[in-house]
Amino acid sequence: MKRPLLFTVYGMFTLLFLLFFWYYGIRGSGQDDWNESSSGLSGDIEEKYVMVTFQSDIDYWRSIMKGFEDAAQEINVSVDFRGATRYDPDEEITVLEQVIARKPAGIAVTAINPQALNGAIDKGVQAGIPIVLFDSGAPESSAYAFLGTDNVKAGAQAAREMSRLLNGSGAVAVITQPNQLNHQERTKGFQDMISKAFPNIRIVEVADGKGDLEASAQAAKRIVKEHPEVDGFFATQANGGVGIGQAMKDLGLAGKKVIIGFDTDKGTLDLVKDGTINATLAQGTWNMGYWSLMDLFHLHHGIVQPNSRGPNGSPPVPPYTDTGITVVSRVNVEQYYAR
Amino acid sequence: MAQTEPRRNSLLRRMKFGNQPIRYKLLFHFLMIAIIPSLVLGVMTDWVVNRIIERQMNENTLQLIAKVNKSLEFYIGSVQNTTYLLAYNPQVRAFLTDSRPSVQTRSEALAFMRGFSTLQTEIAGMMIVKSDGDYLSNDMYARTPGDLTLEMWYREAVRSKGIFRVLGHPNKRNVTTHANYKDSEVVSAVRAILDPDTQKVLGVVLIDLKLRVIVETSQDVRLGKTGVLMVMDEKGEPIFVPRQLGFQKIPLPWLDNQPSGEFVETVNGRKLQFIFRKTSFSDWATIGVFPTDRSSPEVRQIRLYVGTFVFIVGLLGITASFALSHSISRPIYRLMAFMQRAESGDLQIRFWGGGMDEIGMLGRSYNRMLVKINELLQFTEKQERQKREAELRILQAQIKPHFLYNTLDTIQWMARKQDAADVAEMAEALARLFRIGLSKGNEYIPLAEEFDHVRSYLQIQKQRYQDKLKFTLDLDPSIAHLPVLKVVLQPIVENAIYHGIKERRGPGRITVSGGRQDGRVVLKVADDGAGMDEWTLQRLRARLAAPSREARTEAAGTVDAGEPVETAGSAETAVPGYGLSNIQARLQLTYGAENSGITIESRKGEGTVVTLVYPAREEERPWPHGK
Repeated sequence: MKRPLLFTVYGMFTLLFLLFFWYYGIRGSGQDDWNESSSGLSGDIEEKYVMVTFQSDIDYWRSIMKGFEDAAQEINVSVDFRGATRYDPDEEITVLEQVIARKPAGIAVTAINPQALNGAIDKGVQAGIPIVLFDSGAPESSAYAFLGTDNVKAGAQAAREMSRLLNGSGAVAVITQPNQLNHQERTKGFQDMISKAFPNIRIVEVADGKGDLEASAQAAKRIVKEHPEVDGFFATQANGGVGIGQAMKDLGLAGKKVIIGFDTDKGTLDLVKDGTINATLAQGTWNMGYWSLMDLFHLHHGIVQPNSRGPNGSPPVPPYTDTGITVVSRVNVEQYYAR
Repeated sequence: MAQTEPRRNSLLRRMKFGNQPIRYKLLFHFLMIAIIPSLVLGVMTDWVVNRIIERQMNENTLQLIAKVNKSLEFYIGSVQNTTYLLAYNPQVRAFLTDSRPSVQTRSEALAFMRGFSTLQTEIAGMMIVKSDGDYLSNDMYARTPGDLTLEMWYREAVRSKGIFRVLGHPNKRNVTTHANYKDSEVVSAVRAILDPDTQKVLGVVLIDLKLRVIVETSQDVRLGKTGVLMVMDEKGEPIFVPRQLGFQKIPLPWLDNQPSGEFVETVNGRKLQFIFRKTSFSDWATIGVFPTDRSSPEVRQIRLYVGTFVFIVGLLGITASFALSHSISRPIYRLMAFMQRAESGDLQIRFWGGGMDEIGMLGRSYNRMLVKINELLQFTEKQERQKREAELRILQAQIKPHFLYNTLDTIQWMARKQDAADVAEMAEALARLFRIGLSKGNEYIPLAEEFDHVRSYLQIQKQRYQDKLKFTLDLDPSIAHLPVLKVVLQPIVENAIYHGIKERRGPGRITVSGGRQDGRVVLKVADDGAGMDEWTLQRLRARLAAPSREARTEAAGTVDAGEPVETAGSAETAVPGYGLSNIQARLQLTYGAENSGITIESRKGEGTVVTLVYPAREEERPWPHGK
């Protein structure tokens, strides 16, 4: 009579407490608030991914940055942009080393030249920071991936377009930046394709435009003066194309010389639109930025090819991503303006 | 109805607290004392702590929001500075003042502007629009060739007269950024550049700030575990609202024009708490949003601790209550059980146990009371007995047998003197009959005396029946001294006279004989009277076989007197049962059913023989019998 009553009271009390405990201790401690369905990849806003560029004032980077930002927005992480203001390898090394010192979640870097950054990149990778290269690579560095245009292919594409526009014969000049790998490759691709497929086209000169509008215009004017027979120009860089166009306009030769530019900045597009530049090659710049961040995110979170550890492991992420190239002419130029 | 009413009443009465067992009352009170204070304490602690934590969290949130506002202000401030820097730049100024700026001026101004995008990556694009519609930008351009000075934002800047204005998200403007930023991804700011002398508007600087900066700043802040931040401009338009909130804007009146504060509103069926603070710069409101249906983890944790504390206290309280109520009620129950036993008649038990406390004292008092009761009972019993003995003595004194004998002797002598020999003889026989019948109260007498008794009786009857009755007594002298239950023969002889000889036509003879056979005494009373038919004999034998109850009770009472067992005119006169079964019972009670008994032989018209058998013993008391 007494025991059962005691045990009943104990039992009820314990049951109440367990209910309470369930309510406050266990229930809901796992689930997140706002019933946010964290579907898909999602990082933390504290993760900071940094993009390092050189000559950071050029507009070319803008749409790569946009891709980088869009990816960050998508997976909820932070991004930052750093860069050498000038065309100066030492400055970029300094900037990159400063960024590495702050231990970001990942770094996307574009190499000012194929060798200069190798030391800094290797240092960063050794410190455990995922680093990928975009736009212009450094093949001997230990960066995990390169995302950018296959520049040899782009050069070849330009050569084919040039041949088409010149009906297979003529003299052409190339204005490039000789000490930057991507420009070297574009020039090489162009030259190889011409000599291989189009024997009637002659390359009169490969000039240095220094990546600058004025310098390229000067170079173009000089070439026209030295080689009046020249029929076409291929600029491996945006400012080069605009510079040549500007020069042709100044010389009153606009529309009379075939110009193939590179990239789709506003100036180039405007010149394509008015016919000064016959065609330009659009790179997948947004893709470079977007997929760079994705690669970095995957590397940072270890979502990689399983057997990729150790020095002889397979590449954790695709080591080489071709972001594609498109020929932009008057036909499709409208598409490349911002909307 | 009438029947169930009282029952319900009684049930109610039993359920009433006052009628509960004392143990439950104690238990109930102790439990109340143990649990209610701890519950109250728990609830109060919970309440107070919740209030304090909530206040602190609100303050904390306001501080965090202030911090966020500060960094927002910092970004916007730097954008503002940029507009001034642009305005002070000689190339830009030249562009704005020259009616036809040279290419050189343009490119130098553009180069200067380009520098900002390097240093301030939070700027999505910037544009300088001259009052004549010409514009300068690296990364922005008019979507269609239209006059930009007619745009809303331009006019807004002009209206503000050189004051920096943040406009929020661009809305349907004819300007786009080259990198294709959507309207929702940027916040635009404008400032008109005035001619210092004429205060005429030379142009307007338009700068797009990336929303990402604001998003990162506000998402970087964790409001507890559950809150999120949203930013709203002064018109109530959303600058940044996290997707998970599920709504885009809240009505501006909710902010009540206060610089900061908090309120609770229901949005989309969900009750939410809002804590806001406006930026001093742009009158934007940074708002922290919290769901109210979930308490913060700190509160939950404290609640858990308090709950555990109350549980432990309650558990101890229950244990203590049970122990206490039990320790008080158990001695009372024991005392009660003891009293109930005493009540049901066991006055010899005593209450053991119970220490020096009240219960023990009660028990001892009760013990003393029981002792007193016992003494009283014994006293009254003794008194009763003495009273009865006294009465008996008086009674005995009244019937002195000697007085009777002496009287009979006197009658005998008087009869002799007057030569009435038969009267003398009869008086003598009667005197002998009485003497032997009483025999000083002894239960056993020698057989010889029993025979004398029967002889005296027959002599008296002989006077009555004269020649009709003849008798013979024949006792084996070797057993004459053996004891016999007194007055066992006389009733049988009486039966033989009344049912045998009296019913018979002509004189009859009764023969009483005594002898020894197989160590047993055999007494026979034979008559040559009327006898019995078979049916009567069977009934008589059946009655003798079961002399038990009625005979036994009668044996104790009436047989001693030696009177005739059958009263005349009784219904049972035909069956001489009672006398016989009385004797049967006395024999069997004395000697045992297997050693003694009465047998009857009879035949109608020829007579009856009644035989008594019992063990022959020298001692007077063959069986230690009775109490």
